[in-house]
Amino acid sequence: MVPIKYNIKSLFIRKATTLMTILSIAFVVLVYIGILSLGEGLRMAFGASGDSSTVIVLRRGTDTETQSYFPSETHRILSTLPGVAMGPDGDPLASGETLTLQIVERPDGSETNIVLRGVEKEAFLLRPFIELTEGRTFVPGTAEVIVGRQLAGTSTDLGVGGVLELGRLSFDIVGIFDAEGSSYSSEIWGDTRVFGDAFRRTNYYSSTRLKADSQSDVQTLINAAENNQQIVVDALDEVSYFEAQSTRSSAVFLLLGNLVAFMMGFGACFAAANTMFSQVSARSKEIAAMRVLGFPRRTIMSAFLLEACVLGLVAGLLGALFSLPFNGISAATSNFFAFSQINFVLRTTPDVLLTGIALATITAVLGGVFPAWSASRAPIPALLREG
Amino acid sequence: MLKLIWRNLIRKKLRTSLTVLSIGIALVLISFLQLVLAAMSGVEGTAANRLVVRNAISLTFRLPASYEQRLQTLDHVEGMTILNWFQGQYIDDRPENRFPRFGTNPETLLSVFPEMVISEDEVTAWRSERASFIAGQTLVDEQGWEIGDVISIQGDITPVDLELTLRGIFANPDDPSDERRMYFDWQYVEEALGNPGIVGMYYLRLDSADSMDRVISQIEAMFENSPDRVRAETEEAFFLSFLQLLGNVQFLFNAIGLAVITSIFFITVNTMAMASRERVTEVAVLRTLGFSRPKVLSIVMIESLGVGLLGAIFGASITPVVTNALTLFLSGQGVIFNSLEFTLQTLMLILGIGIFLGLAAGLVPAAQAINLKIVDGLRQVT
Repeated sequence: MVPIKYNIKSLFIRKATTLMTILSIAFVVLVYIGILSLGEGLRMAFGASGDSSTVIVLRRGTDTETQSYFPSETHRILSTLPGVAMGPDGDPLASGETLTLQIVERPDGSETNIVLRGVEKEAFLLRPFIELTEGRTFVPGTAEVIVGRQLAGTSTDLGVGGVLELGRLSFDIVGIFDAEGSSYSSEIWGDTRVFGDAFRRTNYYSSTRLKADSQSDVQTLINAAENNQQIVVDALDEVSYFEAQSTRSSAVFLLLGNLVAFMMGFGACFAAANTMFSQVSARSKEIAAMRVLGFPRRTIMSAFLLEACVLGLVAGLLGALFSLPFNGISAATSNFFAFSQINFVLRTTPDVLLTGIALATITAVLGGVFPAWSASRAPIPALLREG
Repeated sequence: MLKLIWRNLIRKKLRTSLTVLSIGIALVLISFLQLVLAAMSGVEGTAANRLVVRNAISLTFRLPASYEQRLQTLDHVEGMTILNWFQGQYIDDRPENRFPRFGTNPETLLSVFPEMVISEDEVTAWRSERASFIAGQTLVDEQGWEIGDVISIQGDITPVDLELTLRGIFANPDDPSDERRMYFDWQYVEEALGNPGIVGMYYLRLDSADSMDRVISQIEAMFENSPDRVRAETEEAFFLSFLQLLGNVQFLFNAIGLAVITSIFFITVNTMAMASRERVTEVAVLRTLGFSRPKVLSIVMIESLGVGLLGAIFGASITPVVTNALTLFLSGQGVIFNSLEFTLQTLMLILGIGIFLGLAAGLVPAAQAINLKIVDGLRQVT
């Protein structure tokens, strides 16, 4: 076995070359981690929204709440289904909600669609994690709204005291709420009936959420809703609903990340190969000496592979280090199938970082295979003659 | 001298080709991202004299059909039709079955899109049969349809199931992406729903682009106090609003591009540094032979430029192939781009980056070469 110290020292002898190779791989890793953390942040925004004992009911054939709508009567029937849990006041925990998309101008002048969610008191009972961080909640029956914290953060106009023209009414912003980073934090909430009045759309709901009596009753409740002859709906548990949304939205980033990683991986691999070739040719005499001393070919090959591995590992770590400031950066994109904006923060999770480091290491080792092989194969006299 | 440079370039064939390959692949990636950006902004095929009128709240709100008569009173309007997005489901959710479906008025559609190419007979057949549709050439090819085929589309958001016969096939040389659409008579849906009179968008064609601003403000003023306020905008602005929904894709792609360029910059610098280090003695010999500093400088710079250019040429030559392959791959993944066209602009971008990389990477070795003391160079044995 060749001591690993030898490899590391060798890498340091040609500092500039080694450093530049490391940097070139590190930048590839940086891009890869950046894109993956976008996808991860988006996934977490959706993931945090779901509760496995809550059933969400939509109009049959629609995939998102923003597309769905049904008459109030459907909601009434749903809330009387057996298996729906009761709230503290004895009313069924059935939350009828209306979703409206509203064009809103971003601070940079571009436009986006914001979700306005019309809710009743059950909406809060079903989502105990929602917390007001500023101001107070809206008074039912009045033209007041509360704004999700991540949305409020994007523009100063959306703070407490601001006024929003929605439909034919002016709404006062009276509070900011936090929903643990979930997609609700990108929404504006107000009273269902007042929104209905503002947009002249009444007696309908977009979705109904039902809290199941117990975890085991979720499927029963789903079946009860879908098999009821009076209504035409699709029902599924909230976790599956949001998973489907997040898969669709983050798939694009995953695809983009893999594409970039694949193509740049080639480039970085070639760079590593160049460096390793130059290492091999610069050290041909040393290799010859080792061979003469009796080191087998296999040992020499593995020594150079190990060197490439170290190169990749360092590059990966450096790339990961460069990417750390990404964590927590706010971003916004569209929920591709609902056409509504979702705000989220980039997450450089350990998984993402490790994937990036793995990419760097694999790249460097692949680039090192051929040079290492040629180093171990060259005849000793040729090695001694070179240089 | 050029011969010397060329000899230098191919002295280490493997190294030069590896560098050229990595530059090339990186440039392909950058140009692919730029092409995607261009395709997404989709302004290609928009006409400067077309405008879209829709509900001011958002696309999920419709407008009353009665607005048509009021819009018709405007000057400068040469053609007007309605377009209603019909989502529904054709067979299943696979991406190839998710083509755009629009309900329209067959009598007026062509007055707004005069560039659509379709035979007179086919239009007449379409107009005379409510349950029929016309489809773009691309879509027809993809689906393998023939005139007379009947398709059914299940309604979802709009709760109407469609049974339609293909009566015409159109081409649109101005905008090939348009050829993945189908148009059917919106009256079909209206009747099934009991004539609620709803319109998603009014599409207007004006006499010229110069009237655009005036007409837009007239329209917005016209419905200022109506229950459904409208938003009027150019076709281009309408398309761009979809891109804006995605957030700052442009920034993301440019950031990726920049990091990629940085990465290949290091790769190229590295190659040039390795090459010049090996040749310290040679440079000293050249200088001894009477080569001036500028000449030595240009030898190194041109070689470096050569690496960058070779990379760019390689990248440019495989971009169309790779782009096609990627488009095919992505469409299998559900991301469909209508057309990614390799333009002169992309070519210039690739060449520009290649030249920049070559020059920038040559700077350090070139500086070393001209600052080299001949004696040191001759003494150094590598």
